[in-house]
Amino acid sequence: MECVVQGIIETQHVEALEILLQGLCGVPKERIRVHELCLKSGPSLAVPSEIRLLCDLAQPTPSWTVRHVGGAMRGAGAEQISVLVRTMVESKVSNNALRFFYSLGYKLDHELLKIGFAFRFQRGAPITVTVTSANKMPKLHATDEAVPVTPGIQMVEITAPTAGDNYNEVGAAVSSFCEYLAPLLHLSKPGVSTGIVPTAAAAAASLLSNTGDDPSL
Amino acid sequence: MEAAARAPPAPQGQHPPQLAEAVAPPKVERLNQVVQQQLNLESVKTRALGLYKAISRILEDFDAFARANTTPKWQDALGQFSMVSMELFNIVEDIKNVSKAFVVHPRNVNAENATILPVMLSSKLLPEMEAEDNTKREQLLYGISGLPVHMQIEKLKARIDMIGAACEAAEKVISDCRKAYGLGSRQGSTLVPTLDKVQAAKIQEQENLLRAAVNFGEGLRIPVDQRQLPASLPSHLVDVLTVGDGAQTFGDSSGSYTKNTPPFSSNNVNTQGILQTPGGQLIARSVPSPSSAASFDNASTPPMPYVNSPRSSTNITNTPSPQQQVQQQQQQQQQQRQKVMQLPQHQQQLLVQQQLRQSSSTGVLGQGTISQLHDLPGQTQQKFQQIPGQHQMSYSQPMLQQQFQNRQLQASHMQHNMTQNQINQVNLRSHLNQYSGANSALYNAAQTSPNSQMITNMSASMQSQSLLPRMQFGLTGGHPQRNHPSQILNDQMFGMGASNPASMVAIQQQQQGGFGNIPSNTQNLQPGMVNLPSTTQNPSFPQQRQQNQQ
Repeated sequence: MECVVQGIIETQHVEALEILLQGLCGVPKERIRVHELCLKSGPSLAVPSEIRLLCDLAQPTPSWTVRHVGGAMRGAGAEQISVLVRTMVESKVSNNALRFFYSLGYKLDHELLKIGFAFRFQRGAPITVTVTSANKMPKLHATDEAVPVTPGIQMVEITAPTAGDNYNEVGAAVSSFCEYLAPLLHLSKPGVSTGIVPTAAAAAASLLSNTGDDPSL
Repeated sequence: MEAAARAPPAPQGQHPPQLAEAVAPPKVERLNQVVQQQLNLESVKTRALGLYKAISRILEDFDAFARANTTPKWQDALGQFSMVSMELFNIVEDIKNVSKAFVVHPRNVNAENATILPVMLSSKLLPEMEAEDNTKREQLLYGISGLPVHMQIEKLKARIDMIGAACEAAEKVISDCRKAYGLGSRQGSTLVPTLDKVQAAKIQEQENLLRAAVNFGEGLRIPVDQRQLPASLPSHLVDVLTVGDGAQTFGDSSGSYTKNTPPFSSNNVNTQGILQTPGGQLIARSVPSPSSAASFDNASTPPMPYVNSPRSSTNITNTPSPQQQVQQQQQQQQQQRQKVMQLPQHQQQLLVQQQLRQSSSTGVLGQGTISQLHDLPGQTQQKFQQIPGQHQMSYSQPMLQQQFQNRQLQASHMQHNMTQNQINQVNLRSHLNQYSGANSALYNAAQTSPNSQMITNMSASMQSQSLLPRMQFGLTGGHPQRNHPSQILNDQMFGMGASNPASMVAIQQQQQGGFGNIPSNTQNLQPGMVNLPSTTQNPSFPQQRQQNQQ
């Protein structure tokens, strides 16, 4: 299971967000370049299912991960908590996975290329913050020709793994971390629209002002 | 009067709730929940604590730097400072709001608040604050506490002036440097910028697009007709997908098997006549003339003549007499055949698939010349298990079972397997030719490829709708005698005879369509090779196949 929140930020403020995250997390950032293939089960399987195959292209050797995201927790408890808690199973796989799933009857539904960076750190729970731009490929599997779906806006996602019994604490840890990002962006459960934050420009400016590049040097 | 406490002007926000409790000891007062939520006191408190920790962390870092006498990374340090300052700024903003809510506003003195008011309005500090104050005062007046008061005052003033002057000088230097280096002046967000509606709407629209794309894949789906694999795949997909697979793996909502397969018309191709021509050549692309198609029925010419064929003599393997095995198998096969024929179409395919999977893959043919389907023989070969001893042939192909059994029993797996597979394929095809093209592709694949290749073909054909029959011609290097295309085509033709002569034509047509890359369409019909029309003929067939292969 995982707790997840999502938000958006304008691309012009991504650099400021990176500085903020660098200060908050204290860990170096990791580059992200993931080719995500979303497969949906074919008619031969009784229960429709969807899995995502993620190919990490940031490393010299691509590594594949299979990921299944389940339904979100529902109920009164879920509404009170400010993060989304959902089942998620993830595993490393070999590059045969795609072929394997095809032979099982899965079909490619859509694919996505995510480019950005991520921070993984511990703050009450192991939290991962990813800031990525979602890119679509005009032609099948053409990762070199990917163009952003929304050039001006990037997606920020904060996830933290959780078990069935401690999701409250993990959710609280994630929410409290989100408070730190309040000047720049607003985070909410996936599916809930947030809009951008009016203070983002000013906050970004103040974050960038002291660390701006020196053109004369 | 509001039941609230006066907030100290300190930038730390954790005092208001504490003060409320400290000031009203008799009753534990809690701030109004609404007030708490509105002012987000919890968050302010958290942020203040976080800020405090961040500042202390920075101070520690600098301490370490100072001790180690190393130069700190100014970029990082400045970044952290800027973050801290931004947080501080925001907290102060929030505190102003908090303070406004907590200003004491007595309108009326009455019995209720008479006792509380003086305490609330007093400027006496809390005990701990007072102690802090005292220590700071002592620090300040460390050197001059013994002097008369006016001198203390003067000295303090001098100190203040010095500090002021230092601040100004520093400020001047900083601003000069900014100007010199072209840095912008520091901006404080005195105004909260508001978005105009148009801009907000645009951003909202973009946001919805992005969220839908990331979470649900909206706007990313390529229409099925445009889903062709590009000529050059990215490097991480080159090994994963081969050109042959691409067409099969994209499905639309219908998910029909038969989407792209050519219609499998049941044509009676009487390959018997062709096959029986010694040395005759069957060209894959040509439709064999449907002459004397009856030979494919169960009671057709026995394959006995093949035993003595010149080719067969060279291909004799060390296999025990297949006749004995065949007799047992025939009975079983006939029973199963009836059972299987009643199964729905795709289940039969599944059965075939299972059977093929169970076959051992020791003798997998490595070379495939299939046009679209392109399996990886190397990868698939290792996946298949040996045929269990009690292989259950759920499919009613007459040859399958005996072939599988033969496989187990015989030492020369390679050749035998190939024989078996071909026979299997033939049988499969013959039985299922009445189904749609996907099935035919499946069967073609099954027929042409032994074991592992069959399985991969089957799986591919099962799941894709655009299967073209796969012809796997490749014998691995150890069987040079085998004329692959001809053998395979022969096999197919033999297989056709099992039950439905009509299937042969269809298969051949499919072969023609799909086997564009078959190098040689001509077949060297083995002399004396006949169809495999019925189980009775099967006994000799494996024998012959093996012989041929050798």
